[in-house]
Amino acid sequence: MGVPLPAVAADGDLIARYLAGEEQAATELVRRHATALARYIASQGAPDDELEDVTQETFFKAFRALGSFRGGASFRTWLLAIGGNVLRDRRRQWRRNLVVELTPEIRDPSGDPGEHADADWAAERLQEGIGKLARLQREVFLMRAQQGLGYEEISSGLGITEGAARVHYHHAVKRLKAWIG
Amino acid sequence: MDRMNDDRMKDEPLSPALGAALQALDAQAERRAAEVNVERVAARVLERLRSGEVERRRVLWMSPPALRAAAAVVVLVAAGVVMNLADHSRPPASLPLPASIPAMDSLSARQLEAVLDATAQLKAEADTEPLAPSGASLDDLTEDQLQTLLASLGGAEG
Repeated sequence: MGVPLPAVAADGDLIARYLAGEEQAATELVRRHATALARYIASQGAPDDELEDVTQETFFKAFRALGSFRGGASFRTWLLAIGGNVLRDRRRQWRRNLVVELTPEIRDPSGDPGEHADADWAAERLQEGIGKLARLQREVFLMRAQQGLGYEEISSGLGITEGAARVHYHHAVKRLKAWIG
Repeated sequence: MDRMNDDRMKDEPLSPALGAALQALDAQAERRAAEVNVERVAARVLERLRSGEVERRRVLWMSPPALRAAAAVVVLVAAGVVMNLADHSRPPASLPLPASIPAMDSLSARQLEAVLDATAQLKAEADTEPLAPSGASLDDLTEDQLQTLLASLGGAEG
């Protein structure tokens, strides 16, 4: 049993505790970031039945590489970047295994069916468009537009310059606007 | 935060249609993410990390690939040296001729033929069974081999 974690420990403290051998700190990091990571991965088109597995794989890789985490970006941004890589590798596997269902069929039973159908259509159309973007355009766009991250943070997480992140975002938005109409 | 707001002002603006689609996609992603069992993810990650750690320790203890390759080279070289030594301890297949046969030049054709027959027999034996160490001489021949050799020499002379 380790020392009880304070109510709100910073990610950095939890990382240090985990590296010192405290497993509970890793559990806390997973609790804190798993849903945001899954949301990011889901937006990129991970199939429903793979979402949990990709989330798990991302955390596993992140914890194994935690010694090399320098803190240039936040732990979450670093995690999202790893998630993007895991998803890319999985996509290759899925393609090899001819699993092509990348667009989930999710229907919310509440509310106006017509309205939901429109929203679902728009979401699916956007997801298709996002899937057509280059990897960095896609990741920068989602980190920026969905996760609300700043360019400095995005550039640190993805290992690119801030200027490059801005350019990727600009091109992503232009292409998606044209795609959505 | 101000920096981020500044960034947003300079960003390529999302069109209403793109904004609405993004909102719908995000809501969908959020619902799907909520289905992920966070506790199960945490438990499995920890389980894998624990087993990965054991594996890593075992691999390190056994040897990293480079060390294993080096060990394999050492074993191969050692085996080669042993084989080489064993080979040298046998009379060379192409040189089983007793060194002490005198005056080879003075032998007749038949005598030479007899010597060659005898050495061929020696060679055949050398190829199938280990012989006495190198430095082979007449002393190394068996009684039968000597008799064969002498008889052939005598017959050739007589």
